[in-house]
Amino acid sequence: MQRASPSAQVGGGTRILEGQDLSFKYPDGRTIFKDVSLFTGRDELVAIVGPTGTGKSTLLRVLAQLVPPTSGKVFLNGVQFTKPSSKISLVHQSIATFPWMTALENVKLVLMGSGMPDGEMTAAGMRVLGMVGLRGFESHYPKEMSGGMRQRVAIARALAAEPLVLLLDEPFVHLDELTANDIRKEIYELVFNPETSLKSAVLVSHNLHEVVQLADRVYVLNGSPATITDCVRIDLPRPRTERNPGFLDVVDALYGKLEKQPER
Amino acid sequence: MDPAIILATLATLARIFVLIGVSIVTGWLLAYAAITNRRFEDVYVPLVNIFESIPVIGFLPLVLVTFVLAIPGQLGVEFAVDFLVFDAVAWNVWIGVYQAFKTVPEHLLEVSDNYRFSFTRKMRTLFIPHSIPRITSNIFSSFADAFFYISVSEVFTAGVATAKVCPSGTCSTFGIGTLITKYTEAGDYTDVYYCLVSIAVAVTVVTLLLSSMSRRAVAKYGVDTPGAVRRNAGRWRGRLATPWRAFRAQTGVVGGYYSKAFQARMGSTFDTEVHKTRAAATRYAALAVLAVVLGFLVYSAVEVVISVPTSTWRTFLTETPQLLEFVGADYLRVSVIALAALGLAVFVGYYLAAHQRAGNTLLPAIQIFAAFPAPTYFPLVFIATLPFLEHALPFLYTEVYVFILGFLSCFYYVFFDFWIGVQAVPSEFNEVVRNYEIPFWTKMRRVVFPASLPYVITGLSSTINSAWAGIAIGEFWPGIAPSVSGSGLQVKNGMMYYISSNMAAGRIAPAAYVSLLFAAVVAIYGIVFTRNLMDLARKKYVVEEGIFAA
Repeated sequence: MQRASPSAQVGGGTRILEGQDLSFKYPDGRTIFKDVSLFTGRDELVAIVGPTGTGKSTLLRVLAQLVPPTSGKVFLNGVQFTKPSSKISLVHQSIATFPWMTALENVKLVLMGSGMPDGEMTAAGMRVLGMVGLRGFESHYPKEMSGGMRQRVAIARALAAEPLVLLLDEPFVHLDELTANDIRKEIYELVFNPETSLKSAVLVSHNLHEVVQLADRVYVLNGSPATITDCVRIDLPRPRTERNPGFLDVVDALYGKLEKQPER
Repeated sequence: MDPAIILATLATLARIFVLIGVSIVTGWLLAYAAITNRRFEDVYVPLVNIFESIPVIGFLPLVLVTFVLAIPGQLGVEFAVDFLVFDAVAWNVWIGVYQAFKTVPEHLLEVSDNYRFSFTRKMRTLFIPHSIPRITSNIFSSFADAFFYISVSEVFTAGVATAKVCPSGTCSTFGIGTLITKYTEAGDYTDVYYCLVSIAVAVTVVTLLLSSMSRRAVAKYGVDTPGAVRRNAGRWRGRLATPWRAFRAQTGVVGGYYSKAFQARMGSTFDTEVHKTRAAATRYAALAVLAVVLGFLVYSAVEVVISVPTSTWRTFLTETPQLLEFVGADYLRVSVIALAALGLAVFVGYYLAAHQRAGNTLLPAIQIFAAFPAPTYFPLVFIATLPFLEHALPFLYTEVYVFILGFLSCFYYVFFDFWIGVQAVPSEFNEVVRNYEIPFWTKMRRVVFPASLPYVITGLSSTINSAWAGIAIGEFWPGIAPSVSGSGLQVKNGMMYYISSNMAAGRIAPAAYVSLLFAAVVAIYGIVFTRNLMDLARKKYVVEEGIFAA
């Protein structure tokens, strides 16, 4: 494990998604986080960890511009943007699938503004459903699926929009451990599959084992108002499991950083 | 200004709210009986539709005579007025509560069954909380409806029967409707104006309170909705705090349930037999209510059938095809009104739900407009527009007025229900829509409309049922404005016209017969439209299941 310079150039040297000096304040004046700067590099999965209440999920929504920051800017491929874009797809913690649509219809929904003919939308939908292992379930309604399958539908929907960045807000928290572990094993390959448009991903999670298993770099958000207190690069070989030498050391180190209160 | 105006406004408000309270409590009991007993449901839903569809003014003679003669003195008058106001508010609340109970998420029902909740516990922790958003949305409409009919409810005449009780031949109770009638008869238009201002002030205050209550209800009892976003401290604080609040609440609740379940297994507090007895008692109580209502209806029906000579029945049967045509003509009018109301709800309702600032300004205005009794100002509209419309649409102008009155009497049901339905769409769904830049029409068709479908069904059902009252006034209003129209406002081919004109001429039997035909049609409509659509909504359009069930 190495401490990474927050300003370091990573991967191919290109910053895909970047937030600069982001702050977020509630209307009552309470600041949830301030001066947060972070970025993702090409083919990089970045995690954000922090205690409850530090605004991790809010930060994810600010990065997607689903919530405007109180101050600061967000850039995609170096270009500032201020409105939500399908180039940055958010996968919700609460597995939001539309119960009146089949798996395929849930996926096709995000293609409907693209002007694509229906046949092409169906083909694209089938392709991403196949990528997440749901071929044969396209006509099932979410109600007829397990939690893991539903989350795969949500991921397929996110991928169908051909995003550059995938934002994952505790995507495994509602799943049983076996299912979560199965999807975790696949997700790194899945999101960086050459067949997808993805260039990077941001994961918010409370589960440090999950973070160490998946992330290339970890931002630690701590304090009140929260700031980035650390940025940790994880260089363990992939695929990673808890049996890998050093895996649990990284987990322990991250715990240590979370427990440590930032200096004021 | 006469100080009695303020007291009368408060008295009317108090009467309306007490009766809304009664309708909510009875609605909970009846809805529970309906969802737990299919046979009761098969009777309850069509009955509610029938009662909601038959305009309050159609009830007048029967109800007034019953109450005024059965209960001596002013008390009978008070009960008669209470019943009329109750009639204006109850059906809408009842159907809303039924719809809410019908769409409680399956997994929450399973939790309550799993831990063998008693009836009171199920109601307190599951059904009643789940019904709160729909009740608050329906109170808007019920309140408006109550005020719409207040002028005909608080003062009434029922011929010989009322003359026995009320020396002047007209019975009245203290309230703003009575004062308006009194001042109008005395030609005191200044005080009529003050009465209208007083109603406007009361309606504005109540609307603002209901609006705030409705937001809080959606925020507290809805799923993870934008409603939660907007409450108290701020937009995102609420939304982002919700998962944790929900988590704490759920763990707390589940812990509580588990400990009870554990105690149950230990045999300390839970008794299966007691549970079964309570459930059976509830069912029997509901069946008893149903039996009383049905008994009353059967008794009335038998009385009517026996008292009508066979020759009259023969005449009725011969006229039935033409009368069904009248029913069809009115259904066409009601369909046009319902479609217009739905159109307004979908576009304006959605806009106001999505733009809180505009909603804060316009919703109270719409609510005040809806609650303002149209019959009090409609003659002025008629006088001002008749010369132009008669010239521009010589064959259709009466239809335009019937449409306007029908629309004013019912548009707000579907409007407010859709509005609150949109607010109850989970914030995750809105985020998906914004995230993927889903086009407006796709969003409306694929997300917003299906997500609010249970609310739309409730609202549309009430709108359709209540439109009859408006068109009943519009199809036969001979004395609307003698100065500009000798015959007033009348159509020639409507069921409501047929009923009202026959009643006015003292021919009760034909009016009663067509009412019977109408009741049969409404019962079929209740089963085909309301219940089937509600079943569909329960199977497929429970928005909560798109978020919770993982």
